[in-house]
Amino acid sequence: MNRSEFLVLVDELLEQEPGAFQGPEQLADNGWDSLGVVGFIALAEEHFGVAIPPQKFLEVKTVNDLVGLVQDKLSA
Amino acid sequence: MTLSVWSKINFRPDMPSPLDLTGRTILITGASSGLGKFACSYLSRLGARIAATGRDEARLAETMSELSGEGHSSFVRDLTPVDDLPSWLRTVVQTTGPLHGLVHSAGLVLTAPLKILTAEKLREVQTINVDAAVMLAKGFRQKGVAAQPASMVFMSSVAGMRGEPALAAYSATKGALIALSRSLGRELARENIRVNCISAGFVRTAMSEKMIAQMPPDSLDKLVSAHPLGLGTAEDVANAMAFLLSDASRWITGSNLVVDGGYTS
Repeated sequence: MNRSEFLVLVDELLEQEPGAFQGPEQLADNGWDSLGVVGFIALAEEHFGVAIPPQKFLEVKTVNDLVGLVQDKLSA
Repeated sequence: MTLSVWSKINFRPDMPSPLDLTGRTILITGASSGLGKFACSYLSRLGARIAATGRDEARLAETMSELSGEGHSSFVRDLTPVDDLPSWLRTVVQTTGPLHGLVHSAGLVLTAPLKILTAEKLREVQTINVDAAVMLAKGFRQKGVAAQPASMVFMSSVAGMRGEPALAAYSATKGALIALSRSLGRELARENIRVNCISAGFVRTAMSEKMIAQMPPDSLDKLVSAHPLGLGTAEDVANAMAFLLSDASRWITGSNLVVDGGYTS
């Protein structure tokens, strides 16, 4: 899965149109909440088989920050 | 592992332990990990012959190596497809003899907000947690499969009784097991088969320890404080299984035994 495909999953998680997120968007402006965290953890586990600890989300502010959590799993 | 609760009770010499399972054959699904694995070992120490069922051959062998006593057997199989579970149980009893008990401990946990829940995931959880339970019951009641009397135990969860966000699919399946126990308890009473379920709270197992290790300290504190008696252990749940499988519960069917340290109180 590449970055663009992953961003579509984030679009779906935050109920945006596919292609809406490019990276710099602020999560706080886009309905990010505790259920978003739970949903993101579930997506990462399903697609990459990784369990992201909840404390990793304490510093997450933007869509790019989310991408950073799975960066090493994304193809070029 | 010790039988810490029951080993401390001094039964009179003429009074056997009410949880004695000597001579009983108990089939346990989900036996290759977690509660199912622990239950196999624990129930074998109460005298039961175990028929351990799981998907992973290597881990199932590990379960078998931890059993006490003799006469145990193991069966490697995925519970899906569920259609042939009744005929599979007929082949199982050719090896084990009639079953005195069945514990459906296999189950899938799904944490997913509705936004990302798919019909495919929902079906997957429903199939293992509920459909397999129904088809195991269908197979269990066949002539020659269940001994007389016999007892079935379904592993439900407090999630089936109390709502939590992102657990809709999982909760629905666990609630279904509570309803299933009630219905089958009535239907199978005439066949001398009791059916009950256990709604367990948060239990410390190898799997949940990983989850605990990843929790922020305040979340862990909240989780612990939600259980007035603290978090449970696999032994706490295995004790409830032993009770529902033994003659000590012979007048109990269709019930939901809540083992949650007070979480739902």
